[in-house]
Amino acid sequence: MYCKFIGKCSESTSCDRVIDVGSEWRTFSNDKATKDPSRVGDSQNPLLSDGDLSTMIGKGTGAASFDEFGNSKYQNRRTMSSSDRAMMNAFKEITTMADRINLPRNIVDRTNNLFKQVYEQKSLKGRANDAIASACLYIACRQEGVPRTFKEICAVSRISKKEIGRCFKLILKALETSVDLITTGDFMSRFCSNLCLPKQVQMAATHIARKAVELDLVPGRSPISVAAAAIYMASQASAEKRTQKEIGDIAGVADVTIRQSYRLIYPRAPDLFPTDFKFDTPVDKLPQL
Amino acid sequence: MDQNNSLPPYAQGLASPQGAMTPGIPIFSPMMPYGTGLTPQPIQNTNSLSILEEQQRQQQQQQQQQQQQQQQQQQQQQQAAVAAVQQSTSQQATQGPSGQTPQLFHSQTLTTAPLPGTTPLYPSPMTPMTPITPATPASESSGIVPQLQNIVSTVNLGCKLDLKTIALRARNAEYNPKRFAAVIMRIREPRTTALIFSSGKMVCTGAKSEEQSRLAARKYARVVQKLGFPAKFLDFKIQNMVGSCDVKFPIRLEGLVLTHQQFSSYEPELFPGLIYRMIKPRIVLLIFVSGKVVLTGAKVRAEIYEAFENIYPILKGFRKTT
Repeated sequence: MYCKFIGKCSESTSCDRVIDVGSEWRTFSNDKATKDPSRVGDSQNPLLSDGDLSTMIGKGTGAASFDEFGNSKYQNRRTMSSSDRAMMNAFKEITTMADRINLPRNIVDRTNNLFKQVYEQKSLKGRANDAIASACLYIACRQEGVPRTFKEICAVSRISKKEIGRCFKLILKALETSVDLITTGDFMSRFCSNLCLPKQVQMAATHIARKAVELDLVPGRSPISVAAAAIYMASQASAEKRTQKEIGDIAGVADVTIRQSYRLIYPRAPDLFPTDFKFDTPVDKLPQL
Repeated sequence: MDQNNSLPPYAQGLASPQGAMTPGIPIFSPMMPYGTGLTPQPIQNTNSLSILEEQQRQQQQQQQQQQQQQQQQQQQQQQAAVAAVQQSTSQQATQGPSGQTPQLFHSQTLTTAPLPGTTPLYPSPMTPMTPITPATPASESSGIVPQLQNIVSTVNLGCKLDLKTIALRARNAEYNPKRFAAVIMRIREPRTTALIFSSGKMVCTGAKSEEQSRLAARKYARVVQKLGFPAKFLDFKIQNMVGSCDVKFPIRLEGLVLTHQQFSSYEPELFPGLIYRMIKPRIVLLIFVSGKVVLTGAKVRAEIYEAFENIYPILKGFRKTT
């Protein structure tokens, strides 16, 4: 064993200042259900909070911990890590938001990291922490390659889209990062599964949207609107038809917007479909509106 | 004709009343000056317009020269060496009154211009050329002049005002203290709106040129004066100028945001245009797919022109080919 005090390998018996820095191996609890019986501290992340060496004293269980009126004698369970109370709150909020839309742990971790960086920089100190947290969540989704629309983040947050957008731009400036531009393909799988559309339709819609952007049929239109119009066209050509309203609800786009983008791609419909697509409704019978 | 651009072509006397143009920075190094007849000139501008007129004059003179050059070709070449020395010294001395400068340029370009048909991209080595602006290829200028759409200015009337009496007695004035703590007054000529605060400060918006803004502010001050307040006209300052123009071709915004990441912000979900924050001059440009460009944040007209000349070659590089 390497003794760091005397600087060379030694046996544990020869150096009496050897400290074993491994985990606590003794356990006194009886239940075998604990995942990590040798852990003595909380498993919270020391990377994010300022070292997590505080101790929480739990509620007493025996009779001695209650005074005569039934109130617990030791009431202090709070005010630990007061320096980063707000940050802990924000992490909790981020976890809640991510949970609502089933975001994986890696995105949540990335969001926490971003929030910590922004919080420590203090350049956005005046902004609501929830707004910063929502914007960090949006950026994390973008950075992981699975962007969520602002409206989707809005749906799980109490902050308005405008404020999230503002904070988003401020955070990008503060952290001096940038994010990739969104594309139509980023949203296809999510929107199509929410609409219960089969894989064939999803692939067709992806192809339609990509071709429409390549042929520059929809200049200046938001990729979300183009994606929604492509899904509409693909679903209308297949057996699984969806109305504009349904697609608009899922995508967060107004149905008039879908109509506008659909009108732009409709003239070139035969060119946009993939070659191996099985038409339930032929191209010339697609709805024209 | 290039010598015109390597030094400030406008002397102190030509600076706009609102403060000097950014000193030492020439209006861009274009081969063709502004105002080539394609651009409608603003209505009644005294000072900043004279630069355009001057360059128009210079251009006409150059056209005359080129006809004469065919006859005096060899003489010019001999005098080139002599004139180059004169030119560098006289350029530094040309801070004088505006009236002289066109003539000086005229004589210089006569003697030092090279063979017709070959426009030199850069002036002779003697000439001090200080490219402060980002390196743009020495191509023609756009020939497009941004039109001013809005000017915001402030002025201090120098006395406390009673907004209630102003609102009651003045025409076209609205005052809702619960909503906003100022009187909103409008006049028809020039079509502008003013916010008049009880401290005596006033904001005037909606004018299309610096002179119109000043005139409108004076009219509002007059109205306030007629209502019985000892209004003065202190510290008139233009705070913001907005201009717009059209480059007449569609633009690939995705390409632009990729290459100019540190200046651009393009979020189609938030706004359909690309927001380009130019550092020098400090102007924000909104660039749209259709080719329309809005420039804002300028304190003087030249900043708008300069920013547009800076962005034009970049936009040309991202022209949509289909």
